[in-house]
Amino acid sequence: MGVIDLDGLEVRLGNRTVLNGLTGALQGRAIGLLGPNGAGKSTLINTLLGFHAPSRGSAHVFGLDAHRDRAQIRGAIGYMPENDSFIGNMSGVRFVRYMAELAGLPAQEALERAHEALFYVGLGEVRYRKVSTYSLGMKQLIKLAQALAHGPRLLILDEPTNGLDPIARQRMIQLIQEIRKEGSVRLLISSHLLRDIDETCDEVLILKGGRIASLCNIEEERRSNRSFMELETVGATEQFSVSIRGLGCECASFPGGRIKLVVPENIEARDLYVIASQQGVQIRRMNLRRDSLEDIFLRAMDNETGRPAHVNL
Amino acid sequence: MSIYKQNYRAYTGKVTPIWTRVLVLARYGYAEAWSSKITVGIFVFSLLPCILSLFGIYLANNPLARALIGGQGPRGLAIDARFFLNILQIQSWLALVLASWIAPRLITYDLADNAMPILLSHPISRFGYVLGKFIALFTALSLVTWIPTLLLFFYEGYASPQPWASVNLSIAGGLLAGSLIWIAFLSILGLALSSWVKWRIVATGIIFGAVFVPAGVGGIVSAVLRTKWGFLLNIPFMMSTLWERLLGVPGLVHPNRDLPTVAIAAMLLLACIICLAMLNARIRAREVVRG
Repeated sequence: MGVIDLDGLEVRLGNRTVLNGLTGALQGRAIGLLGPNGAGKSTLINTLLGFHAPSRGSAHVFGLDAHRDRAQIRGAIGYMPENDSFIGNMSGVRFVRYMAELAGLPAQEALERAHEALFYVGLGEVRYRKVSTYSLGMKQLIKLAQALAHGPRLLILDEPTNGLDPIARQRMIQLIQEIRKEGSVRLLISSHLLRDIDETCDEVLILKGGRIASLCNIEEERRSNRSFMELETVGATEQFSVSIRGLGCECASFPGGRIKLVVPENIEARDLYVIASQQGVQIRRMNLRRDSLEDIFLRAMDNETGRPAHVNL
Repeated sequence: MSIYKQNYRAYTGKVTPIWTRVLVLARYGYAEAWSSKITVGIFVFSLLPCILSLFGIYLANNPLARALIGGQGPRGLAIDARFFLNILQIQSWLALVLASWIAPRLITYDLADNAMPILLSHPISRFGYVLGKFIALFTALSLVTWIPTLLLFFYEGYASPQPWASVNLSIAGGLLAGSLIWIAFLSILGLALSSWVKWRIVATGIIFGAVFVPAGVGGIVSAVLRTKWGFLLNIPFMMSTLWERLLGVPGLVHPNRDLPTVAIAAMLLLACIICLAMLNARIRAREVVRG
């Protein structure tokens, strides 16, 4: 049993099919949810929270049906929504305590946990200020604090670094990494920022047009995938490309003598230099790198024309 | 997650039963309602008629005091159904003032800052949310309606030399039923209208408007069409008629305006259903983050 099990999940909103036959088991400690705008990330989260009923198939969280057992699931989940969502008239500590009590903590424990959660996320000094006076970064942090206060089994973070400056973003990423390391909480992080997912998650679910474009373990994918190489050359580039294809490399040429190639395990950089020397081609720059999340994402999106417009790399 | 350690730790303590989460909403709502000095001011003002009535009951049952003020008239100090009807009417309209101030505080803060997605991501349903807020408002309104009027009733029963309370038990029933119907209606109306308005002051005005504007429209309808059914839009008139009947006071209304009790009950029920539908639509629309 995974953290989240999807079995032919279809969700229709009005006449539109937003999620279309999602099937898979998400088992990672920190699961990234990626996809361009409109891919269905938020709908999937709302379905897991029980807000949308599946029109076909089912979704299970910790083995519980996402719609039928939504009260139980919500008790075990901490949710940090994407947009501003708080009660501005309350002080920080009162707001977090309120949310913890709603999640099921007795009043005294909720107060203790509210203080602890606020100190943990770095809002200890401003916990008696009204939430409406907080900066954007503080509002993101208090959303995280209220999601953590009741000690959830699954923490759902929807665009946790939205609107944060680089320092605040780094702090948020660090917090997420710490929570993941602690081990008692599973994480589901939705983002359109590949870097955030890359730094925090070990598994990624990529959605495209309401379907699963890819579901993979990031580390395993990196290990098992081939090496990519970028070359900048001067000389007879076309002839050089044909020759290295003969070695078994997949390659693509670009203007300015740039070549991108996938190097099989048995080929080394020296072999490329030998061919270049034979053909009088100068290799001015050679950049070897392993598969990144960007590559995994772009491969998942490969049916689209060009690069996804709404994904920031 | 201790403060001094500043690291995360899971919660392993006990968890409250799911049905008690509604009471959490009610408790926080109630505290929010009374956090305003204006609420306290309206509440104190609402108790003044009860204090005056208490004094009146004391005078009516104290022969020396009656002799001193020389008031022996047939209606001057009579403690009967009409006396309690007057108190109920005054307290009920003061309850409207209190409801129009408190109801927006319970809902608009949640809506203005888009708190619904977070609130409803906890184990609480839309119905539970509305019920929690309803309990908070209903409890606050109880403090100025059936609780003080029944206390006055029991004081009269205690102060009267004759066995007054047991003979007039129907008055107590009427006070309780009349108050409960009115504050339940006010609570639902107040919450529904507040949920559709972002600004609290505007919501306060709209609640007053919803009670009195249809009364004017109903009056026009009745005058133009020469029918009594237009008065079904007149909430103050309907409630006065209902309170009179519940307390067993002979009707003061013109026979041409006499509405059947069933029609009044049906109209109030219809208004409540419309309000609940409005609340459901509004909260449903705000429970998830769109986009």
